[in-house]
Amino acid sequence: MDLTRRTLLKTQAATAAAAAANVVLPASAQNIPTGEDIQLQWSKAPCRFCGTGCGVMVGVKDGRVVATHGDMKAEVNRGLNCVKGYFLSKIMYGSDRLTQPLMRMKNGQYAKDGEFQPVSWDQAFDEMARQWKRVLKEKGPEAVGMFGSGQWTIWEGYAASKLMRAGFRTNNLDPNARHCMASAAVTFIRTFGMDEPMGCYDDFENADAFVLWGSNMAEMHPILWTRVTDRRLSHPHVRIATLSTYEHRTTDLSDMALVFKPGTDLAILNYIANYLIQNNAVNREFMDKHVNIRMANTDIGYGLRPDHVLEQRAQHANDAQVSQPSNFEAYAKLMSEYTLERVSELSGVSKEKLEALAKLYADPKTKVMSLWTMGFNQHVRGVWANHMVYNLHLMTGKISEPGNSPFSLTGQPSACGTAREVGTFAHRLPADMQVNNPEHRKHAEEIWKLPHGLLPEKVGYHAVQQDRMLKDGKLNAYWIMCNNNLQTAPNTNNETYPGYRNPSNFVVVSDAYPTVTAMAADLILPAAMWVEKEGAYGNAERRTHFWHQLVNAPGDARSDLWQLMEFSKRFTTDEVWPKEILDANPEYKGMSLFDVLYANGEVNKFPVSELDPAYENRESKAFGFYVQKGLFEEYAAFGRGHGHDLAPFEAYHQVRGLRWPVVDGKETLWRYREGLDPYVEKGAGIQFYGNPDKKANLVAAPYEPPAEVPDSEYDLWLVTGRVLEHWHSGSMTLRVPELYKAFSGAVLFMHPDDAAKRNLRRGQEVRIVSRRGEIRSRVETRGRNKMPPGVVFVPFFDASQLINKVTLDATDPISKQTDFKKCAVKVVLAATADAGERP
Amino acid sequence: MAAGIARAWDWFWANPWIKTATRPPVYLSLAFLTLGGFVAGVAFWGAFNTALEATNTEKFCTSCHEMESNVFEELKGTIHFTNRSGVRATCPDCHVPHQWTNKIARKMQASKEVWGHIFGSIDTREKFLALRRHLADREWARMKANDSLECRNCHSSESMDLTKQNPRAASAHERFLFTGEKTCIDCHKGIAHRLPDMSGVPGWQ
Amino acid sequence: MRRLAFACLLSLVPCLTAGVILAQEAPRLRGPDPFTKEIPAPPMQRQVTNDVRVRRNYPDQPPVIPHAIEGYAVDLNANKCMSCHARKFTEQSQAPMISVTHYQDRDGNTLGGLAPRRYVCVSCHVPQTTASPLVENRFTDMDALTEPERQPARGR
Repeated sequence: MDLTRRTLLKTQAATAAAAAANVVLPASAQNIPTGEDIQLQWSKAPCRFCGTGCGVMVGVKDGRVVATHGDMKAEVNRGLNCVKGYFLSKIMYGSDRLTQPLMRMKNGQYAKDGEFQPVSWDQAFDEMARQWKRVLKEKGPEAVGMFGSGQWTIWEGYAASKLMRAGFRTNNLDPNARHCMASAAVTFIRTFGMDEPMGCYDDFENADAFVLWGSNMAEMHPILWTRVTDRRLSHPHVRIATLSTYEHRTTDLSDMALVFKPGTDLAILNYIANYLIQNNAVNREFMDKHVNIRMANTDIGYGLRPDHVLEQRAQHANDAQVSQPSNFEAYAKLMSEYTLERVSELSGVSKEKLEALAKLYADPKTKVMSLWTMGFNQHVRGVWANHMVYNLHLMTGKISEPGNSPFSLTGQPSACGTAREVGTFAHRLPADMQVNNPEHRKHAEEIWKLPHGLLPEKVGYHAVQQDRMLKDGKLNAYWIMCNNNLQTAPNTNNETYPGYRNPSNFVVVSDAYPTVTAMAADLILPAAMWVEKEGAYGNAERRTHFWHQLVNAPGDARSDLWQLMEFSKRFTTDEVWPKEILDANPEYKGMSLFDVLYANGEVNKFPVSELDPAYENRESKAFGFYVQKGLFEEYAAFGRGHGHDLAPFEAYHQVRGLRWPVVDGKETLWRYREGLDPYVEKGAGIQFYGNPDKKANLVAAPYEPPAEVPDSEYDLWLVTGRVLEHWHSGSMTLRVPELYKAFSGAVLFMHPDDAAKRNLRRGQEVRIVSRRGEIRSRVETRGRNKMPPGVVFVPFFDASQLINKVTLDATDPISKQTDFKKCAVKVVLAATADAGERP
Repeated sequence: MAAGIARAWDWFWANPWIKTATRPPVYLSLAFLTLGGFVAGVAFWGAFNTALEATNTEKFCTSCHEMESNVFEELKGTIHFTNRSGVRATCPDCHVPHQWTNKIARKMQASKEVWGHIFGSIDTREKFLALRRHLADREWARMKANDSLECRNCHSSESMDLTKQNPRAASAHERFLFTGEKTCIDCHKGIAHRLPDMSGVPGWQ
Repeated sequence: MRRLAFACLLSLVPCLTAGVILAQEAPRLRGPDPFTKEIPAPPMQRQVTNDVRVRRNYPDQPPVIPHAIEGYAVDLNANKCMSCHARKFTEQSQAPMISVTHYQDRDGNTLGGLAPRRYVCVSCHVPQTTASPLVENRFTDMDALTEPERQPARGR
């Protein structure tokens, strides 16, 4: 065996020492490694997975991540990680990492029906640019689109937004966060005029009661759950109430578990409002001073295709977002319909439990933190559900102070930081601005140093609409980055996959691994991930958190940021901007999109000499300036002085994140309250300053039923979601052996009686069939989720059990977020169904 | 009070059915009475046992919603409900002794459960949960006292094959069960139903 | 030098195999081919119950659970894990004691028992099935980098 130099030296040293001591060493004697050998380079980073935003310490040796652990200095998690976070070290090392571009080819040429073959970046971008130019020429900017991500770093989302809106002049840019928290984001703006929570995670240590609305925090936000359980178990007076459509690990640790029939959470919320009104628990002074009351349009449809009978029948499918000014009496009258008896009957929750829940909100001495994620947001009335919980907090004045907090949790690491704050939604610009507001567009054009009138005003296609337009052949050049939408979009067999394989479309997927989506694309671009690039994420409590590039991506894999910027070099303004704009602004003629978007004097303001020499930064070295800093500082100009203030770039590399607005170097923990938020004027007490009148909007809405309910044929409710061990579509976690072996495949969670009724046993293979499609899975009647009769749950992480072939593409008509929690299915034995005809 | 008892006494003895029943037989032979008595006895005994058996089924136990929606619902998610070979434990397997005298004693105890059912002492989930520790304590005490008899009816320690157990279980059984130091229920609490608040229970944090 | 060469070689491997891997049928990670094809559900996997401790990938990795935990209560009433892994029960159970970090609260103060924030054991510690990994993971143990000549052949 060869000896390395180090071992040789060590052996020599040991031999010398032994000689000096006059002892004979056995031939195999070796020292325990010490000194330099066991040194690791430790750096901070946020976790790559959910929206909690835990701090992680990453240990690097010889260019490889060899260890991770929870960051003791990170406020969010103080040294803890969940099992996924603890295995971050291994997510980058699956042996099937993509390391070079792959294109569908035939006879050395791109062909839609070809086989994937390795190509160079130049070949890949040449073909991609050719396709983009063809589509732009034939159909214009509206036929080009991009599906981005709440896992993009802040600068990636920002660079993408510039490229799509200002470069290609289209708003057909939407993030996968649309599937995740659009309902929450939209309702924040509708209620407070500003996105994101007023409170923060410090509320966990101050609340007396936690009410979880359809959230299974124990599995989906495990580290935040440690803060809830810490509070509950350390302070016996604290209560946890969990509302859900089935029992799970969160209900195991809840004082109250309220299992309701899918969709009836709306009625429960209105019952609580009614209880507050009937029992004089409304803080009228707070309401009069700080709250406007509005009535939502009702009968608003289900966001299905416009020719669907449910849309045809709905009275306000086209103006679902409209609400009318109203008053307290009218609101009280509407709420009075939600009596205890009626709501108990409708929801299936006992009167005692409903009343006990209402009392938590009613008692002025109980500080209540309401928490929600996908149960509320993935809901055909998700915006209403969000409104209704704000209504409770506004009526009682339990808001914007430690412990009293309506708090929307997020599912992705930068759903807030990138998708929302940067504004990668089809209707948004940075800092809560909207594309259809001419003032906002003008402001963006100024900051971006672009000609006036360049930015398009028409709201682009949202996530589900993009799939429909791809299928219908109206969206033809499509770039999917940092997500696995073919696995996670609804009704994929009918609405997503056909668009990807539509011969008139060119679909590009940038990812680190060959996902379901990548395999259905025409061109796959290998992506750098997590600490293979310098990054920034924004978590659910407004915390912006940076990290350095710690290792290099394998092979030719490059970050999404590099891909976006490099691709922009292949277009000139003459090719993509209208002649009138160029004629009016001749100085922009003939320039590349890279020049006008990124080498614009702002983004390229900071030289590479400002890079921290301890860390690699591939993008900056490729482009010749400190890319991330330039993009961040230009982006930060949108929010500074407007309640979205971000600290200087360097500050974030020193700390474990800061919660915006950061004013005079100080982060803001609770917004809208005097003394806690520097933006509230002296003497005002409370100001919801996102709205012009500085008041919040209470929006009243009724209960309306889900889009599809079980009937005699499709007799079960299907709920989809996640499990603790896997994150979203599993493309990272399934490649970590320990995580894969912890939960080795999706199963159908089902009540034992439902199984017995269908002559099914635990472990048997079944077909889960809806009106849209079917998959095969296996019956699980035990385990962590305890289903009530009539409801089944299937997680979506398993690429071999694509449950979204079964789900319904109904969305909230206002937020356009899909309802992945409610559709009707039947479950039959796999073998039996073979005999019959398939739908 | 005394007057009431006297009134009841008088009514009893004045009842014509009682009078007839207490008068010696005039028309019937001794043989008939003996034989008839025997047949009646057999019939009674049969009926008694039938009733006993009928009340000794899971169907009977779960005919009360208290049992059906609490303990039986919880059982469905456990290994005593579904398992590899489909050998199932029903309610009486664990909660009614197989030996006759013990069974009768348990049945008499059970009359209290019927009482509880009629008067609704655990007719909601909340009431059941509030009483759960008390109910569990009683079962644990009973099983501790009879050396986990109902467990042993199926799981004989003599018949255990340690090579078929995982090492952790094998070692625990060797050290605590085979030596008689502990009985099944000492360790295997909450295996068929969820646990009550375990504070103060030996072996639990 | 040798390690550098090794690292270079390692980083080359994915490039060389990318085409081959994509050609493989791997519906568990990449979905059915084509997407619309119906494929059978994989079997549910058996739990590892051999009680053999598994080496950690790095010191801070929470050890995986080498036994089944089905039906173990971790709720407001009881924590079954602690019946063996609590300090006071480890002599009787011969199970590893919960780590000292588990006695510290959020602020780093050491408590007299399991810290409430660590109550939900299964957030970090997971049991394993006997499933074989879907793809090899090329994570490198730090010991292999420190002392490559002392390591047994890497593999999983």
